[in-house]
Amino acid sequence: MAEELTQEALLRIWQHADRFDPTRSSLSTWIFRIARNLYIDRLRREHSPGGNASVWPVHPAEGMDDPYFTAAESYVAHVDLKERIDRLPALQARLIRMSYLEAKSHRQIAEEVGMPLGTVKSLIRRAFLRLQTTVQEPA
Amino acid sequence: MKGRHHLDPATLVSRAAGALSPETIAVVDTHLEGCSACRQQLATAEHVGGILLAQQRPSIDTERLHHRRDALRDRLGLHTMRRCNPATEVSSFRDTPNPLPRPLWPYFCKDWSMLRWRWVAPGVHLIRAPAPSGARLILLKIAPGKSMPMHGHTGSELTQVLQGAYHDVMGQFAAGDIADLGNDVEHQPIASIDRPCICVSVLDGPLRFHGWVARALQYWTGL
Repeated sequence: MAEELTQEALLRIWQHADRFDPTRSSLSTWIFRIARNLYIDRLRREHSPGGNASVWPVHPAEGMDDPYFTAAESYVAHVDLKERIDRLPALQARLIRMSYLEAKSHRQIAEEVGMPLGTVKSLIRRAFLRLQTTVQEPA
Repeated sequence: MKGRHHLDPATLVSRAAGALSPETIAVVDTHLEGCSACRQQLATAEHVGGILLAQQRPSIDTERLHHRRDALRDRLGLHTMRRCNPATEVSSFRDTPNPLPRPLWPYFCKDWSMLRWRWVAPGVHLIRAPAPSGARLILLKIAPGKSMPMHGHTGSELTQVLQGAYHDVMGQFAAGDIADLGNDVEHQPIASIDRPCICVSVLDGPLRFHGWVARALQYWTGL
């Protein structure tokens, strides 16, 4: 499935390359959104076999002229965020990576690491707030 | 709609990561439609995802890589640029005079007038959507001044207020607000007295009711 989705994402990136706007987001964020949205669309199809795919709504930031999706990523904020990610405490970094790179729910993470669900949510929340304070800039 | 109660940042991370069930995404996106503060946080969470993706080292299997590259070339030759048809989308929305939030359409219907409410208790009606992922996705209508039975949770609950308002131990929740609750919360939502309160909720585990009447209702409603 991962290889198929990767191929689908590459195809989508190629087809929609003219839509990439570097003033709206970095290339890596744009590619991440495409791959993530394809993954969600696949889950939706699997969960509604025979369902009417045309009624699925667009994902946030698609078809939405939202100033928050245009001003969030300056180069300075990008570099700063990368450094902050590298400096996350080991456990918080592990949980964040399990969320993003393995698409695991809080419950799945809690079962895998043997921690209470509330603790997992709290650690992910703290990690994100730690990252977020550096990224937000005045619009 | 401008809400005062927002999504838990941990939930936004899961939304950005693609780690929520489709039914949970429907409720989260309903909130995002009306909440610029949470959309801003989501953009940041997606930025984190982009950086983590860029930091990944590719696992290289040369033979498979060549095979995949050739397959991709073939597909690029077959595909033409696809464009959605905005006219279709606009007319579809115009045909719906009183639309539900768009993320809920696949689970319920497009228009409020098409909803078929089911009575479950005095002053309480609900509609449960089919949710193949195992989550419980419901629309809930509580009459003015009426309440849900006191209950706890075995998992998380997300409740987005669509119309009206309610209050409980967590505070006052009005249209546009979302309650992002863990399994440690016990509450009894009470609708405000001026109009019915309509919410959409998603639960990833059954509720815990105390009284036998409420437990009998739970058996009947599957909540």
